[in-house]
Amino acid sequence: MKAYSLRWRLLLGAAIAIFATLAVAWLVMTWLFDRQLERQAEQELRRDALELVGGLKADANGAIPMLDGPGDARFDTPASGLYWQVSGLSGTQRSRSLWDQVLPPTPADALDWHTRFVDGPFGHELYLLDRIVQPEGINDKVLVQLALDEEQLDAAGAEFGQTLALFLMLIWVALSCAAWLQVELGLRPLAHLRTEIAALRLNPAERLSASYPSEVEPLTRAINELASAREADVKRARQRAADLAHGMKTPLAALTAQSRRIREGRTENSETASDGLDRAIAAAAAAVEGELARARAAASRLSYQDAKAAPLRMSRRLISVLERTEKGMRVDYQLDVPEGLRIAISEEDLTEILGPLLENAVKFARREVRVGSQVKDGKTFLWVEDDGPGIKMSEMADLMVRGGRLDQAGGGHGLGLAIARELVEATGGTITLGASSLGGLRVEVSWYDAVRSIGGTA
Amino acid sequence: MRALVVEDDPDVGNDIVRGLESAGYISDLVRNGEDAWFKGDVEDYDIAVVDLGLPRLDGLSVIKKWRANERNFPILILSARGDWSEKVEGIESGADDYLAKPFQMAELITRVKALVRRYSGHAAPTLDIGPLRIDTRRMAASLEGTPVPLSQLEFRLLNYLAHQRGRAVPAGELAEHLYGTSDADDSNAVEQLVVRLRRKIGPERIETRRGFGYLLADADS
Repeated sequence: MKAYSLRWRLLLGAAIAIFATLAVAWLVMTWLFDRQLERQAEQELRRDALELVGGLKADANGAIPMLDGPGDARFDTPASGLYWQVSGLSGTQRSRSLWDQVLPPTPADALDWHTRFVDGPFGHELYLLDRIVQPEGINDKVLVQLALDEEQLDAAGAEFGQTLALFLMLIWVALSCAAWLQVELGLRPLAHLRTEIAALRLNPAERLSASYPSEVEPLTRAINELASAREADVKRARQRAADLAHGMKTPLAALTAQSRRIREGRTENSETASDGLDRAIAAAAAAVEGELARARAAASRLSYQDAKAAPLRMSRRLISVLERTEKGMRVDYQLDVPEGLRIAISEEDLTEILGPLLENAVKFARREVRVGSQVKDGKTFLWVEDDGPGIKMSEMADLMVRGGRLDQAGGGHGLGLAIARELVEATGGTITLGASSLGGLRVEVSWYDAVRSIGGTA
Repeated sequence: MRALVVEDDPDVGNDIVRGLESAGYISDLVRNGEDAWFKGDVEDYDIAVVDLGLPRLDGLSVIKKWRANERNFPILILSARGDWSEKVEGIESGADDYLAKPFQMAELITRVKALVRRYSGHAAPTLDIGPLRIDTRRMAASLEGTPVPLSQLEFRLLNYLAHQRGRAVPAGELAEHLYGTSDADDSNAVEQLVVRLRRKIGPERIETRRGFGYLLADADS
């Protein structure tokens, strides 16, 4: 049994709640039963009292004659638990059942019968009915008392209490079983879910079925979306591994060839050999660089969705870096971006997108690089343009081929743009190339302002 | 000329030291951040080449500590990650240039030389022209103590004019200094740049001498 089992928690909660309710019911019902017993006892005592008082008449001497008492045989049996006593100035008469004991005097009322609990003879507590009576023909007022041993009431109450407790226990067991059944039925979809998820783990193409209660369905839908995203991730990772391997193999082959040529002493001179080695190293470095960019793009999908990047601030920071470079310090930067503009991607992603775009623009610019922005139809557009030579339409198409390999993009405009494109698409944006009014290349990126959904780029 | 090379990989480190020595620099090689910080703090160098991924204390922290202690030698960052966030962080910590690994030794030497030239080119680190102060090392300007946000190109224009104090500089000469070349339409670019600079430091500070060029006004005003 686990500490955090939902089943045991629900069962324990139900058992405790039912038990508490039944315990309260037991207390109330036994109390009510006790009151009922007392009322019944009082009625019996009253009947006996009326019989007793009926015999209270003065004899010829004006005194109270010896009383017979009510007909109940218990009045004649010593210590039977049922007693009467009549006391006046001229003496006291009492039932045989009292034997040598007396009932204690009580503060009775002349108007009506009253009941009370008093300590009585034989060390028992009594349920006592009393009244002051003035019998016919007698000046004297007499105190009439009838009493019933409370133990007899208690015995009846206790018996009822026990029987009731037993019955309520049975109800408790029955209700707990019902609760268990309810919990089992309620948790059954989760058990089903567990088996389906186990299947999902074995086969990434598997999905959870649609036959779940409406409370569980949002969960299964989320799991299915997660599974789709994961499947896409796995596919992409495989593709990337293949791309990287392919990208590295070509320079490795070149290095092997170079090494063999040197070994065979066929190399022209050390200068050309070094150039060959450098070219292979540069190709390998580009493959690694592209792979790193893709890794960043994959990570960006996991980044915070509500992230708000400030393009103006990011552009300024990037330009302060580019201004350190030999070419960058000779270029004039025009920033036409409002201070308050925000884009719903992380600052890091925006940095990695704008960085290569700006670097690329600087590389080809003659004098000027411009960054502009526009918000239109729920989309935020951001563009970087330069006054350089630009590129031909056919080359643009080549650069933007979806799935084109980064390491094959080569130098020139290619690698930086390919890296930026990868990240823009991973963050749910679009990237387009065009001709700038300045004469050079204009690269425009745009994102919808709404928050993108998980796995939207799979 | 003395250079401090901070690189934990012995092959790359020794390679850089050899490269710098062949270019005429006497170089010290340290292999971790703590030693680097200590060396740079107590000895005088003309340039530091710092790898960012270092044992014990990372490169960015080393640079921040040097700059906090007013160690003002130029710093070239070597970065293996090569992403833009790291470059921005590096420059903002106080580095002057960056180079992504793997790099060509010739490229590194060129960058080092450019940095050293930039830093040693000015006898005085700051120039005062009236209320205008130009910090040639930090490449920043302030007007009556308030920093003026200038782009690199604007700063270089101001700096050049400041060094030619009292002489009207023709637009063509400015273009050649700023852009390295001089075309027919460069005079236009220079003019636009002057207009922007005037907006930032006050229009009266740069006078136009018709037929001669631009002149940075020396008078206090």
